[in-house]
Amino acid sequence: MIALLRSGFSARRSRHGLWGGPLVIVVALLVILTLGTDQFATRENLFNLVAQAMPLFIAAIGQMFVILVGGLDLSIGSVISFSTAILSLDGPAVVLIPAVFLLAGLVGLINGLVITRLNVHPIIATLAMQYILLGITRFLRPVSGGEIPQVVIAAVQGSVFGVPLPLFWGLIAIGLAAKILYGSRFGLHLFGIGGGVAAGMEDAARTYGIRVDRNIVLAYVTCSLFAALAGAFLAGRIVSGDPNVGLLFELDAITAVAIGGTQLSGGVGSLHGTVLGAIVMVLLANGMNMANVSPFVQTAIKGGLLLAIVGLQSRKKMGL
Amino acid sequence: MFDGEPACLIEMQSISKAFGHSKVLRNVTLSLRSGSVHALMGENGAGKSTLMKILAGVHRSDNGRILKDGKLLQLSSPREALAAGISTVFQEHSLLPNLTIAENMFLGREPLKRGGGLDRRRMRAETAAALAELGLKLEPDQLVSTLTIAERQFVEIAHGIKADASVLILDEPTAALNAADVEVLNRSIRQLRAEGRAIVYISHRMDEIFDICDEVTVLKDGQYVGTRAIKDVTPNGLIAMMVGRELSDLFPARTASIGKPVLELAGFCATPKARPFDLTLHQGEILGLAGLEGQGQQRIMRALIGRYLPAGGTLRLYGQTLKFPGAANGIRAMARLGLGFVPEDRKDEGLMLGLSVAANLVIALHAEQPAFARAKGMKAVVQRMTDALRIKTASPTTPVASLSGGNQQKVLLGRYLARDVKILMIEEPTRGVDIGAKSEIYALLRDFAKAGGAVLVTSRETVELIGLCDRLAVIHGDTVVAELPAASATEHSILAAALTAEGVAA
Repeated sequence: MIALLRSGFSARRSRHGLWGGPLVIVVALLVILTLGTDQFATRENLFNLVAQAMPLFIAAIGQMFVILVGGLDLSIGSVISFSTAILSLDGPAVVLIPAVFLLAGLVGLINGLVITRLNVHPIIATLAMQYILLGITRFLRPVSGGEIPQVVIAAVQGSVFGVPLPLFWGLIAIGLAAKILYGSRFGLHLFGIGGGVAAGMEDAARTYGIRVDRNIVLAYVTCSLFAALAGAFLAGRIVSGDPNVGLLFELDAITAVAIGGTQLSGGVGSLHGTVLGAIVMVLLANGMNMANVSPFVQTAIKGGLLLAIVGLQSRKKMGL
Repeated sequence: MFDGEPACLIEMQSISKAFGHSKVLRNVTLSLRSGSVHALMGENGAGKSTLMKILAGVHRSDNGRILKDGKLLQLSSPREALAAGISTVFQEHSLLPNLTIAENMFLGREPLKRGGGLDRRRMRAETAAALAELGLKLEPDQLVSTLTIAERQFVEIAHGIKADASVLILDEPTAALNAADVEVLNRSIRQLRAEGRAIVYISHRMDEIFDICDEVTVLKDGQYVGTRAIKDVTPNGLIAMMVGRELSDLFPARTASIGKPVLELAGFCATPKARPFDLTLHQGEILGLAGLEGQGQQRIMRALIGRYLPAGGTLRLYGQTLKFPGAANGIRAMARLGLGFVPEDRKDEGLMLGLSVAANLVIALHAEQPAFARAKGMKAVVQRMTDALRIKTASPTTPVASLSGGNQQKVLLGRYLARDVKILMIEEPTRGVDIGAKSEIYALLRDFAKAGGAVLVTSRETVELIGLCDRLAVIHGDTVVAELPAASATEHSILAAALTAEGVAA
């Protein structure tokens, strides 16, 4: 336990990145908010926070998969909006829900193929996808509206034994991601590919017999699927389709991943870091809201925090 | 071939291979025996690597055949070669730094549990066994990034030694190892030999060949020259086979005229604990920093160009005094004073591998221009340097990465010669360079000195320093413990000078 904690601060012996900083911030924020305000440590606020945080959580975990191979997915904001729009269409839930994930998987597939086959830089490929999907979404649902299937709403807003369902979904998403990232061949290959990219030895993974392109495509598919899950979650919360709800979500997701110690050059990062990164952002926003900090100032503080934390995580210092 | 020895395990018969119009291998034969270490020698470009890549299934030969135990082998992919029990440790480092040793060992062929997840326990156990077999005290869960270069090399070898592999190809396994590590590696190789495996050993280091190998096959220009038992040949005889001349012919004659001092170190302290020393480099002279490996030769040389901060001392360049430590001896300042530095690692520190030969040659000239000056092509300079150094390249626009080691080194040298430097500081002038190119580089350095330049050189190969230099400064414990004229120095006298030095913090 202590060894594990230590590895979060000096990551020389681990590829999990420096997640100790965000851990300290999370603990500090929890202490400050609990002692400093009456409203924070209440059941409602905490449950509300979990529900609020879940879309960012899920999207950030997805984003982490592509960042680990040295990629980036700017299209997830549009995927989120697009998913809410699809769910708000007229039709039975048994069609709409699978459709959301099928379409998102298709988006990820296209992203991945454009990047690996056409050799388009990930930023450009996914930026283009962001515009394309945004256009389609606004065409489907120019202003927010429509009805979301009841089952989705129930899954997001319901609770069991007084514990809100979002908490379960969050734990399931984390468990699933952990299984993929640490327990599967795919996860190991993602680290291998990303490590090769970052070390300037792109061919190394290939010589080991790893199907590099296929794994990269799969990473983008995974990312899109997590984004669709985040979108479905948001749809259940706002109870309508909204073409703008996912706007700038990709940047928040990248910020959470980066704060959590995952290196954008690939091959170094962790799930727990990403989760911590997302919690930092949510707690900070919640705390500043309660302290009546202006939203403009909040945005500036978010940027400053990102710079400060990432500035302390130089890859060179980690010896990787 | 040799009476009373075991029959051949692998026979490669009349192998030929051409890439486009260039015939890399013509009618080459190679026979490997079980329980024998077989050296494959030849200059770079002689076809050693191609021959081994054919055996490893990376390339396919145009004709000829490969037999194992008398049965014909079809090797069209590395996977098939592995299945046939042929395993390779290639020259290029291929371990991924962010994965653990165990993960690297099993990457691409990970054992899975029944549920489809990674069987990490098995990966760990089998890796630990493989490491133990090589006598390595490393944890399977250690990240490769935490290993030294030598340890990585060993892991690479452990990766190559598949339990069922009967043939192991080692392509320059010692390029990054020091003497102690080479000994550890040799022990492993001897054990593998005792287990009855056939080992192919490619190296440019003559002493290793004689230390570890049983037989040697020499290639020259893609053709088979001959196979000998090691006990029947001498180093000079081998070199003669490879290049058609003797070792002493490699080095150009020494210059008679040593001029006035150009670089004088006084009271130089490499580290706070090291004894201060004085050292002078003269015009027309090649001065070598000799001694055991890692005793501070590199630190002293790099301190001169501001890469290391020495503890104290002064440097006089053409009479101009510079103080240590100081901003006046950064690399740009030194370059302005006519001093060129050729780093040991030409791939990481020297050349821009992706850029053309021409760009690499003239980059130092551009560096003297203001940042927004028009970057002229300097065709004439490129042409002059390519001709003068006899750089073998298809065209000036060829990426430097596609050149042979010797030609890359010439390009790096050419960068400084193009700028008319007066003093050349060069680390490992012939690392990873074949014998033919070595001889050319020695001649270039000697010509540079003859023309009024001065050269300061370090090398792991003591023989090279003795043959190339005029004078040797023996370094031990970050200080100069003796100065010897190179003409009368021997490996023995240098070692003796280093080890008998007194009052040195070792």
